[in-house]
Amino acid sequence: MADETTGRRRRMWGAAVPRLSLFAVEHLLLLPLGAVIALVWANTGPESYFRFSYTAAFVVNDVAMVFFFGLMTKEVVQATAPGGVLHPWRRALLPVIASIGVTLVPTLIHTYLVAPLDEPMLASAWPVTFATDVAVAYFTARLVFGKHHSAIPFVILLAISCDAIGFVVIGIYNPTHDRHLAVGLLILAAAMSVASGLRRARLKSFWPYVLGPGAISWFAHYWSGLHPALALVPIIPFLPHAARDPGFFVDASPGSRDTLSRFELYFRYPAQMALFFFGLVNAGVQFGALEEGTWALPVAVLVGKPVGILFGAGLAVVAGLHLPQRIGWRDLVTIGFMAAVGFSVGLFFSTALLPPGQLRSEINMGVMLSLVGLPLALMVSWALGVGRFAPKPVP
Amino acid sequence: MPRTRGSGGPDIIFRSMPSPRRRTAPLVAFLAAIAVTVVAGQATPLPNKPGSLKFAAIGDNGTGDTPQYDVARQMVTAHATFGFDLVIMLGDNMYGGQSPQDFVQKFEKPYAELLAAGVKFQASLGNHDRPENVSYKFYNMGGQRYYTYARNNVRFFVIDSTQVDPKQLEWLEGALRDAKEDWKIPYFHHPLYSDAARHGSSVDLRVLLEPLFTKYGVNVVFSGHDHVYERIKPQKGIYYFVSGSAGQLRKGNMRPDDETAAYFDQDQSFMLVEVAGDDMFFQVISRTGKTVDSGVIHRQAKG
Repeated sequence: MADETTGRRRRMWGAAVPRLSLFAVEHLLLLPLGAVIALVWANTGPESYFRFSYTAAFVVNDVAMVFFFGLMTKEVVQATAPGGVLHPWRRALLPVIASIGVTLVPTLIHTYLVAPLDEPMLASAWPVTFATDVAVAYFTARLVFGKHHSAIPFVILLAISCDAIGFVVIGIYNPTHDRHLAVGLLILAAAMSVASGLRRARLKSFWPYVLGPGAISWFAHYWSGLHPALALVPIIPFLPHAARDPGFFVDASPGSRDTLSRFELYFRYPAQMALFFFGLVNAGVQFGALEEGTWALPVAVLVGKPVGILFGAGLAVVAGLHLPQRIGWRDLVTIGFMAAVGFSVGLFFSTALLPPGQLRSEINMGVMLSLVGLPLALMVSWALGVGRFAPKPVP
Repeated sequence: MPRTRGSGGPDIIFRSMPSPRRRTAPLVAFLAAIAVTVVAGQATPLPNKPGSLKFAAIGDNGTGDTPQYDVARQMVTAHATFGFDLVIMLGDNMYGGQSPQDFVQKFEKPYAELLAAGVKFQASLGNHDRPENVSYKFYNMGGQRYYTYARNNVRFFVIDSTQVDPKQLEWLEGALRDAKEDWKIPYFHHPLYSDAARHGSSVDLRVLLEPLFTKYGVNVVFSGHDHVYERIKPQKGIYYFVSGSAGQLRKGNMRPDDETAAYFDQDQSFMLVEVAGDDMFFQVISRTGKTVDSGVIHRQAKG
């Protein structure tokens, strides 16, 4: 009897916890692992930690992370193929409009809060509030809504849109970096032309794309003051890919022959190691550096994103769009909490924007505190009766 | 009796051995230090020499509360006998609201007599200051987050320690390298060394800044941030002071250890400093006018 109950429980958990790609699972484990080690190290042996961190920062943040963002771009590119969440593009309209609210409201709250929290200098970190960790949001959405719910593509599109706005903003706005955008963009255009030429020449190997236009793009980003970790973002779309999307965060099978899948298979483990080291290098914060202003960012995203999604989706509805089937306003509030977790992208925005010092320490810690959005999303979905917590219809 | 711990002036003298060219200097400085230690708490331990550079140091001052005004009054009293014409501000010059009225209440009123006497304030910014305060005329920052200036034989380097970007580090290295003055004194908000419990040492900044300080022969560093007064034993040949209680106070917050030379965490305080030739004399005065630390540093021999 007891065995039967245990077995039923196991099956229930098995059904509830989504089966994600190894890439996504490792993303969900390795980055937090790196971050926890960094926090312990920075507070027990700060001198050795910061020496290591500054020494490794360039290799990890500017070089190794190229492959992580390359793989994230691959997920988006594949999603534009038939069967993908971005196919056709019209589907993205509502989440894109909603993302305006999801980025705008937390930013306004953050910018307002830093003054009463008496750290007005933190206002310059406003673009970090845009960040949404796509993998965490997707994982939480799968937990709450299940695999086939229409909320899943909505969450993915919303997260991608928020991050895309953030990438554009940190490309333009950066208080401590000099920009050489004109020259950089010219070099970048040249890199994309070369990538286009390689595609027209029907090259199957991903290496010419990575070593040729990828390297030129890296130099263009570095030269222009944009973050070089994004070097492969404009190049990946040129890699030939499968005709249909295998699904978001679904691993390519080892037998895949298309260039994009081969790229994924080759760089998956290096990208995950990059992610671990990204957490290790950037998440180390001395607790003594933290002040009241640290709370501004987590409060802004945890309050602002649920409010912002209602505002943004409301705008879309007023403009004549309709909410996707099976998504109501309560679902949107839950999705707002899922989008509040910035984590990997938040840390990336923070380190791209802020040089070492107290501001970066406080914002990085704020980004890590935003992880509370995950349990909050589960609690709110339970409280509001959303997704798998919705009351079952009486037969 | 103010609570003060740690060694006094003579300890500093022994640790700041001069260049071999001036072998008599240690003895002279030692005797001077004994002299200032003897008179500490009774009269100014500063020699008040004509032509020397005299300045005050305040940090974390801009509360607009009574203790800030009390400290400011002590500064005015000291100014009557020790005519300093420069005040270095170690950041967090303004807390809370930072409207034009706040600048009056938290800066122009408490320091009105000093401003009227022509004393020049040279500010660095802390994490509680607004970035646009670099343009406030009485801070004399020239609209810059970081800048350098020279007085007599001293060059000051004002650093923005809230955001230490590569551009600033490049500027700092160039400025330190090009400095021809005898004394090199950086000041900024976050302390590289501190034994206060609330914040402590900003090790992330120490790893970035200390190699430049040692490479280019920095002599003394002033910081704030921790709301206490603290003198650190020389670290890699450099003297560090934390003076972050000219308005704020975190009473009893010090956790002194082996690197603490002296401290005072029972009341607000500010520093008076006099650089005369190769000697830097300092005196720390509490809100009630008591001298809580003093001494002399002989300029270190730099390679």
